[in-house]
Amino acid sequence: MLFVANPAFLWALTAAAIPLMLHLFQRRKTVVTPFPTLRFLKAAQKRSSSRIRFENFLLWLLRTLLILTLVFAFALPVLRATGNASWFSRTSRDVAIVLDASYSMNYELERGKVWDICKDAAAAIIGGLLAGDRVCVYAAAETPLPVIEKLTTEHAAAVQAVRALPSLPTSSKLDQAVALALRALNQEKNRREKEVYILTDGQALPWHGFRDAAQKEEASADASPFAITREQREKTAFFTLLAGAQQPDNACATDVKVTPLLLLAGQPARLSARLSRSGPAKAVTVSVEVDGQERARRAVDTEPDTETAVELALGGLEPGVHVAKLLTPQDALPDDDAFLFLLRVRKQLPALVVGPQEATRYLRAALAPGAADESVRQADAAELDGIDLRDFQAVFLCDALPLSGQSVLRIEEYVKTGGVLIVFPGDRSDVSDFAALTLLPAQPKAVADIPTELAARPLKRIPNQKDQVVTFNLSLPPGTVPLVALKRVQTFGDLAEGGAVLVTAGDDTPFMLGRAVGRGRVFQFAVSANRDWSTFPLTALFLPVSHQLIRQGAGASVQPPHLVLGANIPVNDALPNYREDDAVATPGGAPLAIRDSGNRTFVIEELAEPGLYTRAKASAGQPEPVLAVNTDRGESLLTPATPEEIAEWTGFKRLLSAREPEELARLIDEFRNGRSLAELFLWLAFLLAVTEWWFANHILRSKAGATERMKVDLAGKVITS
Amino acid sequence: MSAEGIGAYLNPAQMAKLNRLALNSRYVVEGTLAGRHRSAQKGASTEFADHRSYMPGDDLKRIDWKVLGRTDKYYVRRYQDETNLRVYLLVDRSGSMNYSSGTHKTKFNYACTLAAAIGYVVLKARDAVGMYIYGEKMDAALPCKNSFNELNNALKILQGYKPAKGTAGADVMHQIAESINRRAMIVIISDLLDDQPELIKAIAHFRKNLHDVIVFHTLDPIELSLDLRSGAEFEDLETGERMIADPRAMAKEYKDLMGAFIEDYRKACSEMKVDYRLVRTDEPVDTFVRAYLEERKRLSR
Repeated sequence: MLFVANPAFLWALTAAAIPLMLHLFQRRKTVVTPFPTLRFLKAAQKRSSSRIRFENFLLWLLRTLLILTLVFAFALPVLRATGNASWFSRTSRDVAIVLDASYSMNYELERGKVWDICKDAAAAIIGGLLAGDRVCVYAAAETPLPVIEKLTTEHAAAVQAVRALPSLPTSSKLDQAVALALRALNQEKNRREKEVYILTDGQALPWHGFRDAAQKEEASADASPFAITREQREKTAFFTLLAGAQQPDNACATDVKVTPLLLLAGQPARLSARLSRSGPAKAVTVSVEVDGQERARRAVDTEPDTETAVELALGGLEPGVHVAKLLTPQDALPDDDAFLFLLRVRKQLPALVVGPQEATRYLRAALAPGAADESVRQADAAELDGIDLRDFQAVFLCDALPLSGQSVLRIEEYVKTGGVLIVFPGDRSDVSDFAALTLLPAQPKAVADIPTELAARPLKRIPNQKDQVVTFNLSLPPGTVPLVALKRVQTFGDLAEGGAVLVTAGDDTPFMLGRAVGRGRVFQFAVSANRDWSTFPLTALFLPVSHQLIRQGAGASVQPPHLVLGANIPVNDALPNYREDDAVATPGGAPLAIRDSGNRTFVIEELAEPGLYTRAKASAGQPEPVLAVNTDRGESLLTPATPEEIAEWTGFKRLLSAREPEELARLIDEFRNGRSLAELFLWLAFLLAVTEWWFANHILRSKAGATERMKVDLAGKVITS
Repeated sequence: MSAEGIGAYLNPAQMAKLNRLALNSRYVVEGTLAGRHRSAQKGASTEFADHRSYMPGDDLKRIDWKVLGRTDKYYVRRYQDETNLRVYLLVDRSGSMNYSSGTHKTKFNYACTLAAAIGYVVLKARDAVGMYIYGEKMDAALPCKNSFNELNNALKILQGYKPAKGTAGADVMHQIAESINRRAMIVIISDLLDDQPELIKAIAHFRKNLHDVIVFHTLDPIELSLDLRSGAEFEDLETGERMIADPRAMAKEYKDLMGAFIEDYRKACSEMKVDYRLVRTDEPVDTFVRAYLEERKRLSR
């Protein structure tokens, strides 16, 4: 709305009549001038009368407008964006400040960190409030954090709270924080002036919540707890400070994958990382530190504003858990320069072989070629109850059935939590003994003798079916012929749910079956583990197949090298073999909150702190790293949003955006007190004056008449061009 | 004591500048004395004209004996007669000639000075000059004389006249054309602000009588450009009619009209083989006359 600060001056508008008065006055005051060619004057006047009238009208208009604009300029017109308050009285004002607390706010600009700039701006906003005005402050993070939850008139305390607020190592969702701020503002209905200030670095990602919420609202009528009503969008005054870099420059790793999943001592590893680049294309040097020592380095040509895949090779590592970091060069946003992950290297894969000596001889020899190798333990079925199966990567049952009921239950639990069970039949076991093992891919039906002429069978891997969970790659040493001679085989009934025939002997005799159970695997053979039923233990196939079974099972239950902050995950996924008496500490040293969600299923409440989590087992006092937790790097790909985009995503009708705190202060001042248009009117008057001068002195004389087009020489000779 | 006669219009320096100039006619003229201008008569001269058959009574000295020897026929030689030039100055003293835009002379005053300069040049070439002064009617008709005293007297008479109120240029010119019965040179010094077709007809009348006609169209610079700074109430010098106008607003249309007016005269004169010259009153007379006569001499070669 337009107000006039000096309305008394509007009386001067009557001066607009001056040009007309002067014109009329001039007409009467004439000087008689004798002239010889009056007839030409009369004819010229007749010809030009309409043009003269029009030009006179234009001149009059210009002069009148000039006077009007001058009068308006001196009357000090003020344009106010709000119509709530009158000019002479002030209403109470409620203000909500939403601070984007994401880690991208730590971007370093020339004038300091964006986070500090925004905190200073927030303090300035609070400092600019008058007594009686109320304020609340919210920090936008992954979940909104109330700094001052309810509106307060204690401005000094609010400034102190803002100053003490640390930035958070998370992404941010501005929509939720703004919704909470609006809810706080709407607690008081009588207040007339409501303002929301969103102080952020201006990255697009935190604003996407507004867009997604709007789409969800259209899709379903269910009200979200963070819904912003149409009235709030249209009637509340929103101010945004987009203080971040317009052309950010940042590089960081967003993900690291380690292959193979299960690392053994001395085995080389390959790191597949994704490198996010904000800014123009640039060669970035990435390096990998393992236990504080640089182990790999390479330069990567990154594409502008996108992600690039990077491959790095690591040499063989010692057994144990190694803390590794993928480092990108130091840049304006240091928070994401290091990507933390763990390399768990095992010396060997322990296996438990259950069964009589004669049935397990070949298997023990294949798994532990050296006599001193302790990775393989042999036990009888009766001893099974006293052994902690979680200490073994795989359990082989070689002609070990029947088992006691407790042993069966323990094996089932072992498999479901990620263990591998491999079952071989034998002469001591009857087909009916297998019925207690419900985990098997298929229940054996009978034992069949194979005629000598049909004994030689090639082993064939069955291609994986669609949706098949358990798979097996029969990767054999070069030159190995997958041929076995069968004497006796188990035949099988129908496949259990999730079961699959993985290898056949010949075209149709199932030789090896597999099934995924929980997070573990069960493999079942049709022949015994000794040479009584087939030549399989004697072939060159036996050793690699045995090892592959253990490794595949181990791979299925391997822990991820890193986790993302904020994850709410079962303990078994992150901390295998977790016991209640284990002490798991956060990077800050505090105990990690682990909750029993019932039925002895433990869940990590929330990974709230990035860094290295350690576990100290009750048995061994020395803590070891167990989890590497990184912030979600979604905001590392810095993509500035424009005020137009923000207006479109949010749907805010009264949105004023600034790039600098000073510009924000000016916008606030103009919004609250109005914007003076005096300067604008003065410029307009200047333009009108120039136009009037130009029109009066140039336009009217611009065209040459016929006498000027004639050339008359000194001798009076007329030459018409 | 103010100067009279030619001294009132030309100072010695100006006369000195005009001394060696001559106004030559482009056509044959008829004079009373022998001179350097071609005459309409055949007579004694050194310039051969043509032959004609011998007729009884012809002087035997004129028989061309060489032709007789070749053809056995009698022919007499004829020679181009040469005579003096009679120049009539027609000075307009109509009301419109009484205009001056400021620092310059009035058009009438300028016309008088121009007449004095032309008369002086003519007499210096031993030709004769006469003068007609007219306004609303024929005011004075002074016959051709080749005497400086007569010119001086004529200029004194001219000096005694002031511009009239109206104009009757066309009628007077017809009257003058009828009164001059021998071929002569007619010099019209006027602003030609009269009924244009009638005035053109009057000039044509002179040409019909085989006179050599020169028109000095005398105008004030302001009349050409209307370069006046402020509006005023203008009063016509002849009719007394008044009108209020802003000259700046109508300058372009005025210049177009004035340009067309001049162009009409120029075209008409060109068609009639009349020498038309536009004279601005801000030009010095001696400079103009000198430039004009040199230009005319160059063109007549």
